[in-house]
Amino acid sequence: MKLSLSWIKDYVAIPEDADLKKLAYDLTMSTVEVEDVEYLARRFDHMVVGVIEKVEPHPNAERLRVCKVDIGGGESKGIVCGGINLTEGMRVAVSCPGAVVRWHGEGEPVVIKNSKLRGVESFGMICASDEIGLGELFPAKQEAEILDLSAFDVPAGTSLAEALDMDDVILEIDNKSMTNRPDLWGHYGIAREIAALYDLPLKEIRPFEGDVPSDFRVEIEDPDRCTRYIGVEMSGVGVKPSPYKMQNRIWKAGMRPINALVDITNYVMLATGNPTHAFDADNITDHIVVRHAAEGEKLLLLNDTELTLGEDDLVITDSKGPVALAGVMGGAKDSILPKTERVILEVANFEAAGIRRTALRYDTRTEASSRYEKAIDPERCEQALALSMKYFKEIYPELKVTGYCDNYVKKLERAEIDVSLSWLEKRLGKHLTNAEMEGKLVQLGFEVQIDGDNMHVTAPTWRSTGDISIKDDVMEEVARMYGYDNFEATEFTTTFTGDINQKDKNLIRMIKEYLANRCGMQEVYTYPWMNDVFVNAVLQNTDGILRLATPPAPDLSYIRSSLLPNLCEAVVKNERYFNDFSIFEEAQVFFDRDYTSLYDETESLPRQRRHIGAAFASSTKDITTLFREAKGVLELMPRYTHMEAYEFRKDEKPVWADNVVWLNVCLDGERIGDMGLMAKKVSMECGIKNLSVMLFELDASKLKPLKSRTNRFAHLAAYPETDYDISMLFDSGASWDEIYDTILGSKKASALLKAASFVEEYRGKQIPQGKKSVTIRLSIGSDEKTLTSQEIENAANQVMKKLSKKMGAELRMQ
Amino acid sequence: MKDKINSILSEAKNKIIEAANEGELQHVKGAYIGKQGLLSLLMKEIPTLDVSFRPEMGKLLNQAKNEVKELIDGKRVELKLKASEVSPDFDCSVPGILPSGGGLHPITQMCYDLNDTFRSMGFEIFEEDEITSEMYAFDKLNFPPNHPARESMDTYWLEGHDSGSTNEKLCLRPHLTGGSVRYMQTHKPPYRFVYPGRVYRNETTDAHHERAFFQYEALIVDKDITFTAGKVMIKSILSKVFGTDVPVRMRAGFFPFVEPGFEIDMQCQVCGGKGCSVCKHVGWIEVMPGGSPHPNVLRAAGLDPDEYTGFYVNIGLDRLVMMRYGVDDVRLFHSADLRFLKQFR
Repeated sequence: MKLSLSWIKDYVAIPEDADLKKLAYDLTMSTVEVEDVEYLARRFDHMVVGVIEKVEPHPNAERLRVCKVDIGGGESKGIVCGGINLTEGMRVAVSCPGAVVRWHGEGEPVVIKNSKLRGVESFGMICASDEIGLGELFPAKQEAEILDLSAFDVPAGTSLAEALDMDDVILEIDNKSMTNRPDLWGHYGIAREIAALYDLPLKEIRPFEGDVPSDFRVEIEDPDRCTRYIGVEMSGVGVKPSPYKMQNRIWKAGMRPINALVDITNYVMLATGNPTHAFDADNITDHIVVRHAAEGEKLLLLNDTELTLGEDDLVITDSKGPVALAGVMGGAKDSILPKTERVILEVANFEAAGIRRTALRYDTRTEASSRYEKAIDPERCEQALALSMKYFKEIYPELKVTGYCDNYVKKLERAEIDVSLSWLEKRLGKHLTNAEMEGKLVQLGFEVQIDGDNMHVTAPTWRSTGDISIKDDVMEEVARMYGYDNFEATEFTTTFTGDINQKDKNLIRMIKEYLANRCGMQEVYTYPWMNDVFVNAVLQNTDGILRLATPPAPDLSYIRSSLLPNLCEAVVKNERYFNDFSIFEEAQVFFDRDYTSLYDETESLPRQRRHIGAAFASSTKDITTLFREAKGVLELMPRYTHMEAYEFRKDEKPVWADNVVWLNVCLDGERIGDMGLMAKKVSMECGIKNLSVMLFELDASKLKPLKSRTNRFAHLAAYPETDYDISMLFDSGASWDEIYDTILGSKKASALLKAASFVEEYRGKQIPQGKKSVTIRLSIGSDEKTLTSQEIENAANQVMKKLSKKMGAELRMQ
Repeated sequence: MKDKINSILSEAKNKIIEAANEGELQHVKGAYIGKQGLLSLLMKEIPTLDVSFRPEMGKLLNQAKNEVKELIDGKRVELKLKASEVSPDFDCSVPGILPSGGGLHPITQMCYDLNDTFRSMGFEIFEEDEITSEMYAFDKLNFPPNHPARESMDTYWLEGHDSGSTNEKLCLRPHLTGGSVRYMQTHKPPYRFVYPGRVYRNETTDAHHERAFFQYEALIVDKDITFTAGKVMIKSILSKVFGTDVPVRMRAGFFPFVEPGFEIDMQCQVCGGKGCSVCKHVGWIEVMPGGSPHPNVLRAAGLDPDEYTGFYVNIGLDRLVMMRYGVDDVRLFHSADLRFLKQFR
């Protein structure tokens, strides 16, 4: 919202020398956020009013004229201009060198310099209204029309800012910071806050008094939706421009002046915050009825949109049907037209929520609806009426009030609150005198009675529509007016027993730190919604997946039941730049089942789980290496992060996995995750070009942190252990698990065998079809003595014999 | 002759000590014990001596020659150990091989920094589910039934769960505060906890607006807490994040779930409060809303607001991280773009 300081000064006498930066700061700290303070005159620096003395043709250009312009101080300057309405004696806006303009009102600002135009010297520029940012205040009727200021009776050389009453300051307020304060949506409301802040008197807007005939009727059908409606029927009005001062202020507040009838209604709204409306009385048949619309009823709005209304909409009607959408926008039928001679002025109060619903339903938020939906008090109608009538009478001295009706069907109760002074002091952490508190509250319009420890507060009507209702609200008023920054910080002294030991939280953090810092993986964040392409490719099925009612995009409606689709999308995005990388994400996933709530028996929430997912992508590593890297990360994780170990099984292939390369991760017999190679088809559907991708995903809520570390210390070997590598040929389908179990399972292949580890396996050249060579590193040693090489070899032979016997392995000839 | 031997010997010793490399050492060797070396030439003079001197002089000369030889051998070992194993052209400015490293997301890092700070002040860490009912997202937080935030243009409602009573309507949580009510319902006061998490708003995105972003809520509830108690909490957070005491101010702000409510601003760390484009020339940056939990919120959590009060702040982690590193587009956080994320390792 834009506010004119000179307008505010109509209501509160801010000293001329007031520090406006401080004013903006104080308002920001205590009331609303002032986003900008603009000294408006600066836009018109180096601009003056000039009087054209002579207009001559340009010697070298048919469309240009050479003007002699009196710019004051006894100086006349030659200015080249392309305007089509230049006449001698005309007052014009002259931008002298140094002024900032926009050519034809468009593009970047340009600084005016002395220049030569087609061979003729030109001092500055004679401006069109849009070239100096005044296109909305002085709309041009045609192209290349120069702004004619002849109506402004000022001598040549007067600064343009002064001549046009632009020597003002505009305060720009963040609308979001006053959604809870319906009283602030006009100049008067802000003036009231300033008056209270600086102990300045606030000028009253005197109520409308006058002899009013009352044969005019307004009926209100639903007092909850329309609490008050004042209608004033007037004759002797007509369409003409409003006084410049009114136009100027409307423009400063960010709206467009239209004509006097419309301008008065907008001006009053900008002053008081209460919207008003003027109907062409000749287009209203019989009296006005405010009622709910009938289902399917039609209304053509001012902006030419035809609405099909519903019962929840409130309309202003005459005997022929709806003439306006109450509190939102007038209708086309009754709107002010050039021939208008009689009007009905509407000053009304509508219920906030209904206005908001209607404005949203038809996507028609207006200055009026955005004020009504904040909940305006019905008493304010009187201010709005008084101000409206003042201006009607000023602008139309011939005006006659032919009808008047104030139908006030639901009075507003002022909020009354009892506040204990000792409670207030405890909450403020500071003693304020009764006079300090009372003084500020009274200036804000509250009535205050103090009796012993009790302060009885009656809120003003304009704060009683929900804004002020409990003692904490009163405390806030006192604290903000005293200044939040004037309260010293007090320490909090809560004492707690017991330490904070949150193993579940620690586990997730350890896992993430392990993946990032130990395993060299990058954590990524993705959105909870998944792209249909990746849902179809990776999950291949949407059963049990929740959807958003209004998704960010039509193909982003599913919310994740798995982290893998979005991780695959991340792989695709990064393939352009990287050929070997690994990423992980920890986030919640959601399932359309198992509805329950721990907190309220009537609530039912879907199953939500914390998952950890990862992708290892490489175009440089072979599948075995990639697989072993991913598996290694999972193998070391329980040990590193102090959780119960899980096991790998092959129970059920994940849908996205390759037919061969996959594993289930199981804890206590339950499948808590999967790992594996992304199948070719899936990879293709995702749009992955060259990368092989290994994925895993675990349900982290199933992981169990250990109470304490459990691995046991092992004594160091007293006698040396020797590594002994053997390579043997196995059936191609033999598994390492089987080999390991054969040599180190329940019965060791040799008493001297301490450990065995996988070195590599090989298929291909020199290896018979259907076979593979596996190299195993045996660790051989004794607890009693140092072994001889013969003893070591014997032990290795025992192992090989057992492998031959049990698995049909053959020694590979080197 | 004896004197001559001794003087040659001491001369040779000095030369050996002075020899700086193998070449010089070879030269010394040749000059004293080589075929034409001084000591070798003296040897040839022995037959010219008186017979009675010959054995003694011969012995002396041999001793001298052996001594020189030993010294040279010793020096040679010494030189070898001293010498570098590589060419003197070895380039020490070649870059190191970095340990293979991944990294946590910058927001995770910020979150953990804050967790550590708050834990040191005795706060618990709380986490809650992201899908919530309208009852917890709005009703229990004192949002009036017609509040605009409840509408689908602001909140992501779930399909099939977007109508009915407020305990049936489900959405992606629009803020964390509803979860704090869940905490309070299930724990005994006093409370001191923090609650990090991702929240969702249905809005148009640009460099400063996101549909998914992170909040970090901190709440204390106890008897007799003044509304300014939170200043200590806020200052601790910001000094932890920025490593320096950051001036803060509390100004009027309105949120349905607090009374009184504040906007909490920190001094702009880019310009030091002088005013710059980052802070829109005001010298302050809005970092978090705060306030005392509204009595209706405390009631919804089963507490008596006449007995308990508290202080709450809700920090926008994204904005804090943007300030910390100078990131100028909030959408990068959810981009999963490694070119961006690698910068925070």
